[in-house]
Amino acid sequence: MNREQFISRVSSAVMSSSAPAPQPVPDRLPDLDPVDLTALFHSRAQAVDAVVHGPVARHGTPRAVVGIALGHGCSTFAAWDELATPGVATALAAAGLTRISHQVPNEHRKSHQLGYSNLDLGVTGSLAGLAESGSVVLTHGPGRPRMVSLVPEIHVVLLDVSTIERTLAHWASRHPELVRGTANLVLISGPSRTGDIELQLNLGVHGPRHLHVVLIK
Amino acid sequence: MSRPVTFLSRADRLIGSREAAAVDRGMRLITSAQKAAASEFPVMEPLRDRSRAIRLHALSHLDRLLAHFADQMTAAGGIVHFASDAAEANDIVRRILAESGSRLVAKSKSMVSEEIELNRHLEAAGIEVVETDLGEFIVQLAGDTPSHIIAPVLHKTRDDIGALFAERLGVTETNDPVQLNAIARKHLREVFLRADAGISGVNLAVAESGSIVLVTNEGNGRLISTAPKVHIALMGMERIVSRWEDAAVILEVLARSATGQRQSVYTNVITGPRREGDPDGPEQVHVVIIDNGRSRILAGESAEILACIRCGACLSVCPVFRSVGGHGYGTVYSGPFGSIVTPALHGMDPWWDLPFASTLCGACEEVCPVRIQIPKLLLGLRRQAAEEGRLPGWLGRGMRVYSRVALDPAKWGRAKKWASRLSAPLAARGWIRRLPGPGRGWTQSRDFPRPPKESFTDWWRQHRES
Repeated sequence: MNREQFISRVSSAVMSSSAPAPQPVPDRLPDLDPVDLTALFHSRAQAVDAVVHGPVARHGTPRAVVGIALGHGCSTFAAWDELATPGVATALAAAGLTRISHQVPNEHRKSHQLGYSNLDLGVTGSLAGLAESGSVVLTHGPGRPRMVSLVPEIHVVLLDVSTIERTLAHWASRHPELVRGTANLVLISGPSRTGDIELQLNLGVHGPRHLHVVLIK
Repeated sequence: MSRPVTFLSRADRLIGSREAAAVDRGMRLITSAQKAAASEFPVMEPLRDRSRAIRLHALSHLDRLLAHFADQMTAAGGIVHFASDAAEANDIVRRILAESGSRLVAKSKSMVSEEIELNRHLEAAGIEVVETDLGEFIVQLAGDTPSHIIAPVLHKTRDDIGALFAERLGVTETNDPVQLNAIARKHLREVFLRADAGISGVNLAVAESGSIVLVTNEGNGRLISTAPKVHIALMGMERIVSRWEDAAVILEVLARSATGQRQSVYTNVITGPRREGDPDGPEQVHVVIIDNGRSRILAGESAEILACIRCGACLSVCPVFRSVGGHGYGTVYSGPFGSIVTPALHGMDPWWDLPFASTLCGACEEVCPVRIQIPKLLLGLRRQAAEEGRLPGWLGRGMRVYSRVALDPAKWGRAKKWASRLSAPLAARGWIRRLPGPGRGWTQSRDFPRPPKESFTDWWRQHRES
């Protein structure tokens, strides 16, 4: 069925529909009492099994990330090109970790991806934090690959505390154009998890097993 | 889709079974998490109202939203397809896979793919399809069907799963969930990275930006939409909202109502394929918009059910679902919403009995994040079944007699006296535990209080004077 036929069938269904008439959607979202956003983020991110560090000073970030990498015994890493704090990748390399390229060209796609299989650590930035759910928001694009927050055992995300907002709904209402500007935006709330086997919590089923959030002042 | 037996005969087999007990235990855990998440969130109630308004608005503008979505997704480099029914949808997917030379497909959970029986069609075409949601992977290995929309293998124990993995994956048998998880991760990681195409559902589409939203906890939704060259998303045509900020509101109530999480672990918003300069992501993104009976629902009396956001909250609280589990319904969509969607999608024949698989207690409507009037819709379908003459004759005759008696105070009074007199020999210590004849089935799981010797009306008449 082509688009015109499909849509016109939907149109006639809409005309004769008995669905209740919608109330108008109010312009403004309901307000929330103000809270300490950094503290709320901290506790809510921990509640979903993320490990929260800091807030650290900007120049202290590379050391914090190296500490996490060595704590897990990582030997390989991949990182976004543009991180809010310079020097993270250099510091990881100086600590003896091997950097894996994150470019996945359209040719030889699979062989490049399989190189990712043994990736220990991924370091990314973030666009915002959401306090109520302990989530970080990542937008992907040039220099900011998706795989780095997805395939390694350990994901370290840098989050500027000034970007933390209360809820997804409130944040999104202030950035209505955001999703159009990127092929992929992702909200991450803790490490990958499943409860599929007897509803018992299990971390790291497909994505990272450990999520570290480094808060930056 | 064939269903040889009725709901009742399935339910009879399942009530009291190990499977039903496991479902009930699971539902207990989920409902207490849902309650905690909803009561802790200070704007839950206003956001439920807002979500309802957003979804009903979308239904009343569905034609325009779909057209707008298609334009925007196309502008972002995606390819939008329209499928009027299951056969067409399956055909479109098969064609996309053939044209891109795809042999191995990694799939994340999609209800609509189960509705159209996609796997069967693709496998018949020689394509290997691997389910990657851990629960769905287990279901696929076992050749089984899911028993709950968000917890598909609730009916299997860790021992069942350990034995299954040992047999099918050739690993050493273990019943430790952590190890079982690690086995699945290792096995499926290869699949993700080698797959030619990824297939997913769509939790929500955003018309204004041409985006689709995929929500998962495990990360498989992200992997199948990142690693393979081709990503195909199957979308029931009603799963759309106008704006990104509307989607964000729905996402606030979705996870809280589904699993009691504040947000799911991964909320993945996709607007077309990888762009110029993007280091990774799929080269092609296809969205297949599927009608398959939905325009018929929209035009009919059950239209409101299309506002559903598939959280599964109505299943968790339903006393009938909790007693029989998802397999009692014999269809992809189970529980209260499934009892409305299934006969509406696939016809009253043979699904007309599902709307009767409810006590009409209203718990579903109370928890529904978009406040769908589920009992009202169930009653509408029951009325339709009665009008179509599907109910046994004695029921209609009985109800007519009952209404004649109940509408006449004198007759009602006499009936009460007779009921009291006739039931006296059946009762022991004030309760009737077994009724004879056709009433026997009814008292199998219920006791009935003995009608009092003297009714309240009689008592009042006597005491009013004194």
